[in-house]
Amino acid sequence: MAKLSDIASTIRSKNAGVNQITFDIIFPNKESYARVKESGVITRESIATFFDIPAARISDFVTFDLGNAIKFTIYRNRPSGSPGDWDILGCQQYGPLLEIEVP
Amino acid sequence: MTTAGSKKELRVLISTGHLGTAPSSPESFHRGMETNPDYVVADGGSSDPGPVYLGEDTTLGHFVREELELFLTASRRKGIPLVIGSAGDTGSNRGVDEFVSIIKELAQEHRISKFKIGYFYSEVPKDYLRKKIRAGKALTGLGGFPALTEDEIDKATRIVAVAGVDPFIKLLDMGADVIIAGRCGDINFTAGPCIHAGFPEALSYHMGKMIECASLVAEPFMGKETVIGTISKDDIKITPYHPDQRATIASVAGHSMYERETPYYEHTLGGMLDMRSCQYEQYDARTVRITGAQWVPATELRVKIEGAKKLGERYMGFVALRDPHVVRNVDKAIDWCKSAVAKRFGNEKYELYFHVFGRNGVLKELETVKETKAHELAIVVEGLAATDPLAEKITDFAVRMFFLARIPGVKGTAGTAATTKKTMKSSPGYMWNVNHTVPIDDPMELFPVHMTEAGV
Repeated sequence: MAKLSDIASTIRSKNAGVNQITFDIIFPNKESYARVKESGVITRESIATFFDIPAARISDFVTFDLGNAIKFTIYRNRPSGSPGDWDILGCQQYGPLLEIEVP
Repeated sequence: MTTAGSKKELRVLISTGHLGTAPSSPESFHRGMETNPDYVVADGGSSDPGPVYLGEDTTLGHFVREELELFLTASRRKGIPLVIGSAGDTGSNRGVDEFVSIIKELAQEHRISKFKIGYFYSEVPKDYLRKKIRAGKALTGLGGFPALTEDEIDKATRIVAVAGVDPFIKLLDMGADVIIAGRCGDINFTAGPCIHAGFPEALSYHMGKMIECASLVAEPFMGKETVIGTISKDDIKITPYHPDQRATIASVAGHSMYERETPYYEHTLGGMLDMRSCQYEQYDARTVRITGAQWVPATELRVKIEGAKKLGERYMGFVALRDPHVVRNVDKAIDWCKSAVAKRFGNEKYELYFHVFGRNGVLKELETVKETKAHELAIVVEGLAATDPLAEKITDFAVRMFFLARIPGVKGTAGTAATTKKTMKSSPGYMWNVNHTVPIDDPMELFPVHMTEAGV
C-alpha cells in the first residue's frame, strides 16, 4: 500500500465555474497513472463514498490518458463565495485525497 | 496594425493570470518584451473572487495601476498593441471606465505619444433579459443552476455578459492600440487578436486557453511570470521566460484541464473548442508545440451572463476554545449559541454560520476527518441581517453566547470561550444567482464598442 500523495505529482482542486469544484490528480508517468486507474480506488463511486456525498453531486469523472490524470468535478451546495463558504476558490478541498491508500 | 495573412507567426506575451492581485515579475516580463512580441495581453478579471465584487461593483486588486503602468509603458515604447480582458475584475462598466481613466492618466504622466484606446462594455440591461423570458426564450442555467426567472433578474444588483472574440476583432479593425474589455471569456482576449491576424480559429482559441494563466502552464509552479504563445497556421508553441521554468508535455496537458470540468471541451460565445485529438510535443528544451484542436461553430449563439444578489450586511466574530471538555463538546456550544440567538432574535430575518477551524472549517460537510485531534479550536461566527446594526448585534450576541455557553460538566466557571475585542464588519454577503446562457442574434449585440484617444 502507498498513499496517493506518494504516487501523484499534482493533487489539486479549483473552482470550475461558480457552482462546481474540480479535482485533478496528475501522475508523473503512464505506469503510476495506470496503477491508480486500474486499482479502482478512484472511481466515481469511491469518491462519492469517500466524501460521503450522493453520486448526483459528482457532475463529471474523467480519466485523461494524454495528461496521465484522473479528474472529477462536484457540485457545491451553494455557489462559491456565498455566506458560509470559506473556500471561495475551492483550492483547498483536495486535502483529504492525499491520504487515500492505493494498493 | 497587423493585417490578415501578412505574418507567418503571431507572438502573444502574457505575464499574469489575474491583473492587479499581485504584481507581475518584471524580470521575465522585460526578457519577453526584448523579443518584440506582437501583442501584450492580460486578464483583468474572473468570477473566482466571489460574488461580492460584481455585487458591490468594486475592484479586488491593489496593484492594478502598477500593472497597467508596466504593460502600457513597455508596449507603447515598442508600438505593440495591449489587450486587457475583464477590466476591474468583473468587467462592469465602472471597471472598464476606471481602467480607461488609468490608461489616460499614465499616458499623460509618462508623456506617451498619442494612441487610440478601444473599449467595450458588457453590462446587460435587465429589461433585455425580461423581454427574452417574456418572448419564451430559455435562459438556461449552467453548473446546476435552474432556468433564470424574472424574480432572480430583479434581485441581481448587476448583470454582465461574457464576450467572445468579436468586440476585440472589431476594435482592432477600428485601429485600437490599447483595448480595455468588459467581461469576456478568458480565452478570447488572446484568440481575438489571433483570429484578426488571419490564423485558424481552432488554434487561436486553443492558444488563448493555454496562455490565459501565464506561467501556470509551465513548471515548476510559479505565478506572475511571463510566457509567450506563438501561433502559426499549423500549430501553437508555448514558451516560458523565467529562466528556471519549462513548458513540458505534462505541464501543458495538466494546464488544459485546469479549472474546467473537462479537459476535452471549452465552450465560448460562438462555438466550442474540441481538444480530444490534441497532440503535444516537446519542441525544444522549454517549448511545447500543440496541434490538433478542432473548432465547432455553434448552431445557436448563446452568451453567458453573470450576476449576484445581496443577502444582507455581514459581520464576523472570532472565538477560540481551549478547555478540552468544551473542545469535545463544540457542537453543544454551537447549539447553545444558535438557540440563544433564535430565542432573542427569532422574529428577525438573519443568517448565522459557524466555521470551526481545527475540525471542518475549510471543507465543511466534505471533511473526511470526523474526530478532531486538535487541542484548541477557532470558530469564526459569520452573521448576516438586513441592516448593519442588526447584523452586528446578532453576530456579536452569538459570539458572547460562546463565552456563556452552558455545557454540563464544564470545570471553568469564568467563561467557556476566549474572545477577542470586537466583532468585525465584513463585506455585505452576496450570492451568485445569475450563471446562465441567453440566446442572442448577433455576437456584438451586448457589447457596444467605443474609441477614445490618450497621450500627448
